[in-house]
Amino acid sequence: MESAAVPAPAPGQTEHSPGVEDKGLKKNAIGFASSVVIGVASTAPGYSLAATLGFVAAAVGLESPAILLISFVPMFLVAGGYYYMNKADPDCGTSFSWVTKAMGPQLGWIAGWAIVIADIIVMANLAQIAGLYTFLLFGWTSAAASTVAVTAVGVVWIVLMTAIVVIGIELSARTQIGLLAAEIFTLALFAVVALIKVYAGSAAPGAIHPSLSWINPFSLSPSEISAGMLLAVFIYWGWDTTATVNEETEDPGEAPGKATVVSTVILLGIYIIVAVAAQAYTGVGGLVEHQEDVLSSLGTEVFGSPLDKLLIIAVLTSAAASTQTTILPTARTTLSMARAHALPGSLGKVHPRYLTPHVSTLLMGGLSVVWYVGLTIVSEDILFDSLAALGLMIAFYIGITGVACTIYYRRELLRSVKNFFFIGVGPTVGGVILFYLLVKNGIELADPANSESGNSWLGLGPPLVIAISFLILGVVLMCVQWRKFPAFFRRRPQVVPAGFLEGEAPPPGPTGVGEGE
Amino acid sequence: MSQIVVGYDGCGCSDAALDRAIELAKQLGDGITVVFGYAPPGLWGGEIAEHEEAIEELGERLMAEASRRAAAAGIEAETELVPKRSTEALIDVAARRDARMIVVGSYGEPPLKGFILGSTPNKLLHLSERPVLVVPSRHGDDG
Repeated sequence: MESAAVPAPAPGQTEHSPGVEDKGLKKNAIGFASSVVIGVASTAPGYSLAATLGFVAAAVGLESPAILLISFVPMFLVAGGYYYMNKADPDCGTSFSWVTKAMGPQLGWIAGWAIVIADIIVMANLAQIAGLYTFLLFGWTSAAASTVAVTAVGVVWIVLMTAIVVIGIELSARTQIGLLAAEIFTLALFAVVALIKVYAGSAAPGAIHPSLSWINPFSLSPSEISAGMLLAVFIYWGWDTTATVNEETEDPGEAPGKATVVSTVILLGIYIIVAVAAQAYTGVGGLVEHQEDVLSSLGTEVFGSPLDKLLIIAVLTSAAASTQTTILPTARTTLSMARAHALPGSLGKVHPRYLTPHVSTLLMGGLSVVWYVGLTIVSEDILFDSLAALGLMIAFYIGITGVACTIYYRRELLRSVKNFFFIGVGPTVGGVILFYLLVKNGIELADPANSESGNSWLGLGPPLVIAISFLILGVVLMCVQWRKFPAFFRRRPQVVPAGFLEGEAPPPGPTGVGEGE
Repeated sequence: MSQIVVGYDGCGCSDAALDRAIELAKQLGDGITVVFGYAPPGLWGGEIAEHEEAIEELGERLMAEASRRAAAAGIEAETELVPKRSTEALIDVAARRDARMIVVGSYGEPPLKGFILGSTPNKLLHLSERPVLVVPSRHGDDG
């Protein structure tokens, strides 16, 4: 900031220094490397693989790499929607702001609610993995086998992650790049060593040689595809962050596209290579047997001691990194909702010293602990069932955001072929695929036999009951808030005027959901 | 008229700093500039602008409070909301205004806590090219 050029303000007045209008990220322009890091780190590849690979293998068998590949398609299509929504709403809003603007406050509220619930559930799953891997890191296998011990350490992790976000401790960009590089390197090394052992014949008894058919999605049945994809959508969760950060990169002409391409290639590459290698090494049976912690058991076999600790550290750093990319943005969503009077006002508070949305963060940390401990007491299997419920929620709010983009931009769609495909067809098709997964899985999960626990709640599978209960709870809470603060719920949907993208028309309405009342 | 730049975040220790700065300004015949630095933590993720607006509102409230305090002591304070981290904000404003000194409060917290949380007075002492006055928090004022 050029300070010398600024005239002294009149006494007694609050002066906004130059740069205030350049909101948020613009003043902290993000470089190419950081853009790539954000895209990859937000998805937390190590943790995602550890949490889902076994379940995907259980759902689809040998073709799990193919599922990982095609699961990316709807995410990619919707990411175009994120990109254009961010263009019209440079406030870097997410699903809550965007869906409210495009489709009205009720749907916007439910989209925001889905984000919050997904966050609470993922924190519990993250804590489970982090707790387990913490003991494995120190080779304390008896503790790792104890539900009480793992849960206790998992709770410590949630408390720690919440504290980090409340206090606002940030790793520098360079540290993040370093951690991510180490994580990717470890995963790649794991894949290479596993494959060498497979071909050298020194792999596990169930080892099989990789085959091209593993990445061929056409050999899968529709129900395998939908079940596998719903699980796998989760592993790309967070990747969409790249689309909203892109606008702010140092060289918007060049960097954004390249960073997205590079982060995508890294992510897809690492997922498929690791999935292929893990499956080749231990076979589908091996993956399914250790589905709750695929990477730790495989790491020990593939690397041997003490190198296997590398993989555990990679998963732990990956889980920790997602605190910065999952918890803080979600706390901002509730902050934004509170400021729009869509949630109680205290959630909109920021801490005077740390400047973080501390009330939102603490509430979500607290609810995660309650959810995690509660579910562990009821049944640990249900904790894993909630992963399937999580897929339903992620599919819902990302899908609705894709559709919202097309609706929001409806007057721009026919103005160019590019608009038609990237704003119209792409995000909507992506959204429709996600909704298809949602419904198809909803129907399949209705059968209790298709859940991890095999339990039946009210004659339905637990994941579906979890998802439906949260939806009902959301609608009830929305109605309570509606009665108390009807102003937000009276908002009318907006539309992007024709010619906005060519710079011929101004963006729609005031920016920021919190304004314009 | 020389300026005294003072950091204010509404906690007990910054009240002490503000009061001391007002007192000094009166003795030296200086003007006072109250600064609140407000870079939001976390570089990316959704709804960042809403977050920033919430912080800005907090800052405006604090600045109004600081002005009121100064006016009650019979001095007119200027206020600046700076979208940077507090240390950087104070150094920038001090340079721009060619300030005589920077006044901040100390939380009176153990060094380790300050290290983890990031201590503005500590950073200022090392980075500022101008004199820095650190005012300890009044007894029992702030945790």
